[in-house]
Amino acid sequence: MPDTNGDQLLRYRRGQRIIHAVMAGSFLILLFTGLALVWSPLAFIAAGGWSRYLHRIAAIGFMSVPILYIVFDRAGAKEIVTESFKYDSDDVAWFKKMYRYVLGRTAEMPPQGRLNAGQKLHHSAVMVFSASIVVTGIIMWGFKSSLSASMLSWTAMIHDLSMLALALLLVGHIFFTYVYKAWSSMATGYVPKEDMELEHSKWVEELEHEGAENTPA
Amino acid sequence: MTSAFLLDMSRCIGCEACVVACKTGNELPIGRQYIELIEHTSGTFPNLTGGFQNQRCYHCSDATCVAVCPTGALFKDDGLTRLNRDACSGCGYCVQSCPYDVPKMSDGRASKCDACASNVGGGGSPWCVTTCPGKALKYGDREEILAEAHQRVDTIKGRYPNAQVYGETQAGGLGLILVLPDDPETLSIPADPPPTPASANLWKNWVQPISMGSTAVAVAGLGVLGVIARRNHIAEMNEVEGSEEAAVAAGDGSEGINDA
Repeated sequence: MPDTNGDQLLRYRRGQRIIHAVMAGSFLILLFTGLALVWSPLAFIAAGGWSRYLHRIAAIGFMSVPILYIVFDRAGAKEIVTESFKYDSDDVAWFKKMYRYVLGRTAEMPPQGRLNAGQKLHHSAVMVFSASIVVTGIIMWGFKSSLSASMLSWTAMIHDLSMLALALLLVGHIFFTYVYKAWSSMATGYVPKEDMELEHSKWVEELEHEGAENTPA
Repeated sequence: MTSAFLLDMSRCIGCEACVVACKTGNELPIGRQYIELIEHTSGTFPNLTGGFQNQRCYHCSDATCVAVCPTGALFKDDGLTRLNRDACSGCGYCVQSCPYDVPKMSDGRASKCDACASNVGGGGSPWCVTTCPGKALKYGDREEILAEAHQRVDTIKGRYPNAQVYGETQAGGLGLILVLPDDPETLSIPADPPPTPASANLWKNWVQPISMGSTAVAVAGLGVLGVIARRNHIAEMNEVEGSEEAAVAAGDGSEGINDA
């Protein structure tokens, strides 16, 4: 698939879009079926047992995300991990002006690469809290009967707090997707170049530089 | 005033009438019961000791099951531990956490004695108390029950030197006061059950409500802010494009908001 399509730039490859869909779908099922376990108005869904099986099936889907990423897009997986934990001076400056980005204003934001500083923080937080929710989930799935009341409540508490963090990150993710009209980008993979020039100017420059290098003299 | 059961094990003959009365009175389906009689024997014939453990909810004041129940299906009322099965999600945390190993899972939900809440609420007595032929069971004001338990222990001390009252202080004070002819361990009852862990209270009383509340506030707050921020973004993009048509669209925020 070409990296450009008229005035559109390819931002998410097909593999990335499929992995995103697997993660989003499994996460929403986990959120809903997990909520049924702890919130009495939804308790009737969990009490029969089927939502708990669904929770486990979705958990397998969620845990498969990093494996799928490595199998189908090793370079992309490496890229997202390294980019998400690497911040430069423009990122620090971006955080200082983050309130403007939250209010939908990008014109005076410091130049950003493929991921802006907020997206880096979002991705790194998702990785950390996903790891903690997976570890505590596996403990409760496989070893609940071996846990003391104290260990069980600590495990459940860390599991719940991890889900709280991920749920808040999801709310923020949906917020920025709505504000910056990004719904279609994860479906088609393409984003308007003019939007990227405003929000991810360093990335556009990088693409143009790569394009110039690849053009025969 | 709080209520309690008196269970005098020196009078229990192991007839299981309480088991049957509880099951039929509460109309419990096959496979579900609130009381179980377990026979404990030790020693070598003819020097055998032991008795019947009347396994049922101990109605702890410091109830770990209530502390870990995420939906509030288990709750304290009149000093007793009640269960609203309609609110139970079947997570099984109570089964896992009870120091007396009392709650069981049945039909995907927790199951345990609720001290015949409907019977007692209507002015009656719990089914097991009504039925017990050995007068081993009684139900009433906890202070009176405790006084009677101590009186019974004094009476049987000559015959059972290790006789004791169990439940006055254990787990914050039980709603099931036992008169035991011997040490509790002889009936596999823990002499000093562990208290509810602080983590369970922290999780139930702080983490869960804060999690629910903060998520709701985030959804509501960012929902409103999202409308404002999107208008700003559309206006900014139109400004950048510099087209006259875009400038007109930027003046009408609702058009931009609905074009998602």
